[in-house]
Amino acid sequence: MLMYVLKRVGQTVLTAFLAVATVFVLLRMAPGDPAANYAPPNPSSEQLEAIRQQFGLDQPVPVQFWTFLQHLFQGDVGTSFFFKRPALDVVLERLPYTITLAVASIVVTALVAIPLGVWMARRNNTAPELGANIGTIAGQSMPDFWIGFVLLILFAVNLHWFAPSGFDSPASIILPTVTIAILQIALISRLVRREMVVNLASPYLTVARSRGVSERALTWRYAFANAALPVVTALGTRFAAMLNGVVIVEVVFNWPGVGELVVNALKQRDFPLIQATVLVTVLLALAVQLLVDLLYPLMDPRVRLGEASA
Amino acid sequence: MTTSTNLPGHPQVPNLAEVPGSILGRESAVTKVLLRRSAAARRARYSTVKIWVGAICAGVVVIPVVLANVLPLPDPIVGALSESSLPPFSAGHLLGTDPNGRDLLSRILHGGQTSLVIGFLAIFVSGLFGIVAGAAAGYFGGWVDTIISRLLEAQMALPLLLMLLLVVALFGPSIPVITLVIAFAQWPEPARITRALVLVEREKPYVAAARVLGLPKLSILSRHVVPNILQQVLVVVLLLLAQAVLLESALSFLGAGVQRPYPTWGGIISDGRELFVTGKPWLVTVPGVAIALLVVGVNLVGDGLRDRVRRAKGDQT
Repeated sequence: MLMYVLKRVGQTVLTAFLAVATVFVLLRMAPGDPAANYAPPNPSSEQLEAIRQQFGLDQPVPVQFWTFLQHLFQGDVGTSFFFKRPALDVVLERLPYTITLAVASIVVTALVAIPLGVWMARRNNTAPELGANIGTIAGQSMPDFWIGFVLLILFAVNLHWFAPSGFDSPASIILPTVTIAILQIALISRLVRREMVVNLASPYLTVARSRGVSERALTWRYAFANAALPVVTALGTRFAAMLNGVVIVEVVFNWPGVGELVVNALKQRDFPLIQATVLVTVLLALAVQLLVDLLYPLMDPRVRLGEASA
Repeated sequence: MTTSTNLPGHPQVPNLAEVPGSILGRESAVTKVLLRRSAAARRARYSTVKIWVGAICAGVVVIPVVLANVLPLPDPIVGALSESSLPPFSAGHLLGTDPNGRDLLSRILHGGQTSLVIGFLAIFVSGLFGIVAGAAAGYFGGWVDTIISRLLEAQMALPLLLMLLLVVALFGPSIPVITLVIAFAQWPEPARITRALVLVEREKPYVAAARVLGLPKLSILSRHVVPNILQQVLVVVLLLLAQAVLLESALSFLGAGVQRPYPTWGGIISDGRELFVTGKPWLVTVPGVAIALLVVGVNLVGDGLRDRVRRAKGDQT
């Protein structure tokens, strides 16, 4: 068990390192001179050169990477070009907003998708289920930024229920959450339905039914208990992916999270800020994934961590 | 058959329908109505409903998009400023115009051509690559499988959208670059499915037979194993088309799509977003409906086909 956790932590660190290294190299290859973004208007070449020197961009890329690594091991991921502050601080300031949004979305998703999926499985192959089925397909077919805009047009512009963007009051979280949840509910409820259909048709359920177990207990305590594992996995994966930035929804609603931060940082070629964001979010997402995996043995005693199948 | 069969050299077989008390003599309790109501028949009917509804949704978008160059439409790139920001159903502009006076319908249809070309090219590349990689991983196992599986896992951990934005910034937002970027995002899906299916298929007796006959591994894989799983994989690849269209629109929404003035679906919505506050919501809602209709259509067709393929393979889910 301890070995398994250590191995996974090692893999996590390695993956995060690879992600940051890839981003580091890609950033340096990308066209666009960061110095030009931070120089006074119509800069002289000396001014540009001075800024490049200040940012350390005059060094060859391998040297830059080596410096970056040395600082990384001292817990320093660099200073944001744009904010002129440690990049890590900027990211950590924005992170709570993304985490709040991700938690709200995943909670709403679980609360709606699980009952919906179970209902669809119980009513499998009936006309209402066909309707719900087509509905979930529609739910995963709409571009999320478009859902966001339609909600904004409806509830912010026409009905004036919410402020159109940004984070003014706790109510601001409702529209972004709904936008994210629509897609996630569609995906997760279909998974729940699929798992439940298999379990509801299994022999152990027939045996339990013949012994007089109530339908409610059959559905939830028997079938759902067995279907829960893949569902929790999927919820965990989705949650981890959201921590990597619900970029588009954050941009649509001007939500001050890391997704919005990183898109702007990309436009401004703010290299240290992008690297810090990638590092933090990837580590966080992998940590969530690891936690979900560690939950398995608690949920299903048959699962042993660290074996070939795990 | 009303008479009993008499084969030469065989004892006479009585016709069961004429034997008193035999179940075949009675009307079957399973009536045609019951058969029609059975779960299997319903499933078959519902998959047909899905396929048809999907084909209609997709067709409503795809056919006009394909015909965009033939239809009598205003120019999608150059508009008349005298006709700026007309609402839908204006004379000569069915869906209205944008602030530059460009016809929205024309822009949506021409933008759709770009989206569809990118989508089809992307699923072709990702499907081909995914099937080859997945089949190799599943059939050869060993280090091939290790490398490909690790690649699949590593990609899941990456902040994908950010990477895609970076690569597009790096190589420029041309159609080949966007296509390859989308294909890169999508190859894990067919690869994983192919690998899983090949793992099952390679244990079947016909593969052992082919090996005994001395066929080379590559031709067993490409001529016997892959054709048996291709149908299931192709449905998944079709479903990827829906994802590709969505991803392309998301990229152009974030500014990493085919550049202005050429229209793309995400680009049109992105251009309209500063405008809907000023009372021109159709510039945002209408192009989104086009995307959603196409994607719903493709998803429904794919889902219906998947139900059928699964049923043919005896899977009850």
